[in-house]
Amino acid sequence: MIKRKRFTRRRVTRNTLIYSAAAIFVVWILFPIWYTLSSSFTKPSEIGARPTPFWPASPTLDNYRLVLGIPTKDQECVPGIDIANCGAAASNVSVNKLVDTMFNSFIVGAAVVFFTLLISTIAAYSLSRYRFVGSIFFLNFTILSRIVPGLVLVAPIFIFLRVLNLLNTPWALIISYTSFTLPLAIIILKNYFDQISIDLEEAAALDGAGRLQTLKLIILPVAVPGLIATGVLVFLESWSEFFFALVLTDSYTVPALLAGFLSMQTFNWTLLSAATIIAIIPPVVLVMIFQKYIVTALASGTGK
Amino acid sequence: MILKSRTARGEESKRSVSNGRFGFYLALPSILVLLILLAIPAVLTIFQSFFIVPPDGVGIGEFAKGDNYLFLFKNEIFWATSLRSIWFALIFIVGSTVIGMAAALLLNEKFFGRIVLRGLLVLPWACPWLIVGIIWKWFADGNIGLLNGVLLRLNLITEYKDFLSDPSWAIWMTAIAATWRQSCLVALLLLAGLQTMPREIWDAASVDGAGIFQRFRHITLPWLRPALTVVTVLNVIYGLMQFDVIFAMTQGGPGSSTTLLSFLIYRQFFIFTNFGIGSALAVALALIALVGGLIAVKTLYRKIEV
Repeated sequence: MIKRKRFTRRRVTRNTLIYSAAAIFVVWILFPIWYTLSSSFTKPSEIGARPTPFWPASPTLDNYRLVLGIPTKDQECVPGIDIANCGAAASNVSVNKLVDTMFNSFIVGAAVVFFTLLISTIAAYSLSRYRFVGSIFFLNFTILSRIVPGLVLVAPIFIFLRVLNLLNTPWALIISYTSFTLPLAIIILKNYFDQISIDLEEAAALDGAGRLQTLKLIILPVAVPGLIATGVLVFLESWSEFFFALVLTDSYTVPALLAGFLSMQTFNWTLLSAATIIAIIPPVVLVMIFQKYIVTALASGTGK
Repeated sequence: MILKSRTARGEESKRSVSNGRFGFYLALPSILVLLILLAIPAVLTIFQSFFIVPPDGVGIGEFAKGDNYLFLFKNEIFWATSLRSIWFALIFIVGSTVIGMAAALLLNEKFFGRIVLRGLLVLPWACPWLIVGIIWKWFADGNIGLLNGVLLRLNLITEYKDFLSDPSWAIWMTAIAATWRQSCLVALLLLAGLQTMPREIWDAASVDGAGIFQRFRHITLPWLRPALTVVTVLNVIYGLMQFDVIFAMTQGGPGSSTTLLSFLIYRQFFIFTNFGIGSALAVALALIALVGGLIAVKTLYRKIEV
């Protein structure tokens, strides 16, 4: 009897500990994002209330309408805080730019995913199955290059792109992003191919299939989950990248545009928060959908 | 016989020369891209760090021997900034690893709502670094930030405090903001490691009377060692190279209290177009990162004996 009582008491302590830790954790993760979310529904005139409320007194969608360029009906303008001329807000170039820039980010992301997967798949397959002179060196170089950050390489890439007259074009970003998504993709895909049994290829070879045919018809279909996970991760990197977008283009992608908004006097926090929420919807949705694939791929990709 | 049994892992297909050539052709596009976009720029950066490069960056200009480096080593700003970068990275590394580990251990337990919490974990991680900076800049804002609102409600402060314009607070706030995102990635990776740990070892130790801390030290930690090594190396790099969060939150200010090496490099390259000094700074930062990474690997990585 006594033993059992002790056991339940221990359970209670365990649960208390776990749930308080979980609560702290939820607060830690959610509060900053929550504030951005609640601000995006706040009228600019209500933003200074103290102590800062958790939720706006009179929620509004106007911030979203403004950043997306949808005309607002009964607009409450706060001159000086809001965009200088409220009537012209819908056609305000910098504000409307958000939609265009999201589109740019999608195009760049899609192109980076396409080129990265195209050349990393075959390279990863080669590293997983074949040995050639320097293949070990190539693999080590790939792993090492994940560690060397873009910041260190940016000047030569910048000059190189300027000489080719590619600055301020999507190609500047597609080319430079590929340089750091490629090693990531190769490492993850190599680990993925390593787990696929070689029996399939041997059977295909016995049936007289060529090596390239085997790769295309036998291996690639099996590797689809790995390709999806890699594609999503590459897209996320491309979507998130800021430094190259800042120095190689004129606010071509979303992070660079938001950084520009930060320094604009007329652009207040309620609008910026709405733009921020819109900007994180694509990556958040992608991560939520593919969470399981991505985490496995990341763990395998970094774990070796 | 022995040789034959090794064919299972693909040793056989690696044998012939023709296969080797085929493998090389498959890897060739990647090799070329990495050569042009990584290897050559890396070599050029090192090269340029020894030259007085013209402001347009084309050509290498005059050979400067080690003048660029000498200039840095004699410069107080360089040393102060390096120390600040290391300090920022330390807060970031320790914070991310400790919080991430705690979160991973928590999420490895069974409790109601665990799946929701794990879903939340990917939220900060899905945010681009720059957006992390934006979110925290306003969260910690001295006039309208919710952080001040919460602290005031808890009676921890009596009036709103502008953390980001206080030099001693700014570095902490930016490091905490960066930690906010990275701790979630750390948690995800360590959790993946924890979930492959056989429950039996843990249970056996529990029967043997090992307490919870002993079990953590002697079972969980060694099991996580490889994952922890990788995570720490990642943390070292993200900590030392952090740019986006600083750019969004403080632009290096107030004064120079959050100016990190990454920010100095950015300014040298793109504001002063001083490619020689900038390259020397980049090389110095890469070396610091390399040393940091090596320290992490040396202290954490041990071959697991099975």
